[in-house]
Amino acid sequence: MHKLRNNIMIHPPFDSNSASRRPDGVNGCRYSTGYYLQLIKQGAEARVYRGRFLGKAAIIKERFPKRYRHPTLDDKLTHRRTAQEVRSILRCRKAGISAPVVYFVDYTSNSIFLEEIEDSVTVRDYINSVLCSGENAEKLIDLANCIGQILSKMHNEDVIHGDLTTSNMLLRDSAKTGCQSLVLIDFGLSYISALPEDKGVDLYVLEKAFLSTHPNTEHVFEALLKSYTTSSKKSLPVIKKLNEVRLRGRKRSMVG
Amino acid sequence: MMHFTQDLELFPNCSVTLLLFKEVQNAAELRKKAMEGLINGALIKPTMIVDAFQVVVATNKAVHLQKLGKLKTRTLYSEIIFNLSPTNNISEAFKKIGISDGDSSVLIVLINEKDINVDRITSQVDGIQIHIDNLQTMADTSTIRKLFKITPQEEKIGTLLDAIVCRLSTKDVC
Repeated sequence: MHKLRNNIMIHPPFDSNSASRRPDGVNGCRYSTGYYLQLIKQGAEARVYRGRFLGKAAIIKERFPKRYRHPTLDDKLTHRRTAQEVRSILRCRKAGISAPVVYFVDYTSNSIFLEEIEDSVTVRDYINSVLCSGENAEKLIDLANCIGQILSKMHNEDVIHGDLTTSNMLLRDSAKTGCQSLVLIDFGLSYISALPEDKGVDLYVLEKAFLSTHPNTEHVFEALLKSYTTSSKKSLPVIKKLNEVRLRGRKRSMVG
Repeated sequence: MMHFTQDLELFPNCSVTLLLFKEVQNAAELRKKAMEGLINGALIKPTMIVDAFQVVVATNKAVHLQKLGKLKTRTLYSEIIFNLSPTNNISEAFKKIGISDGDSSVLIVLINEKDINVDRITSQVDGIQIHIDNLQTMADTSTIRKLFKITPQEEKIGTLLDAIVCRLSTKDVC
């Protein structure tokens, strides 16, 4: 049963084993105990909240049931996505790639309680602010080098992010620009694969997102790919695949 | 106040209390009592804990599973000990994380007891209660790193506590 209010779908409370929960306006949800979570994003796949959890600032990502799917398939898919997200985060962290710490996973509501990366900006906002203020593009090349390096490390671990965009990368303590401050988030579509094809597609997704979000930054993305290539021996087959995938894309001639 | 308390937001009326003791003389007796279910608390080796937060995380998960009737061990308190271990082997968890007969310090985890009834537990311990902040200094970080297989690159992007907590919360699918 859904209610439409101001064109925003209000989902009924979940059958969570904890205190009963209800939506609190369009901005949050409140538990009967008074615990309040502030809704910060509602996507097609999940709702993202922020709040305190066990004494820390946390982000709660809740994959809600999709009524348009067959219930059995929905259960399986949602659970799989939740588990994959969490697995990929741990795998990245073990390899020294910054990703939010997972505090708790509730498999009954498919909610992930994560560390909130405080005092951060998305790479998207950072790039836009540099471009808008007409500052030296040098800064962006440094950033591109960092991103290339980190993605290379990630692909070396056979982790495919699945949704690489500049909104899914954060810069912690935006004053410093060292590679240590780059944090990858939203591993919702991630999976493990050793195939250069999958890694190539991962980069292609980023390329498309990057160039459409930040017009006239081809040189920046080129630097990113260059850094990616030089950071690892396994990168050449990936770049080769990327070039093949580029030729394959939408509105492309399939003349061989 | 030497002990530490944290409310569990997801579970109304549930709070976790941690008590830390040094110079404990009756560890064997305490362990025996705990095994017999005579102590309503989890008895843990403080040397295997770097911060109260990891205990709270393990407790939150234990309470969550208990409410679902899906505990992997027999009691809520044994579940906390199990959740603090990096592996899915229950007896290994008790050996590595739970109190041993020769231990001279103990960390006790209580659930739902705030300021009242703490004395009921403290009176059973033949040792000196110390402030929970001492946990950091008591941690045997090299054994912990080995047990949890923490990589050096992992500690460049976060603290040892971060690395441990991430493993504890994702243990069931990783």
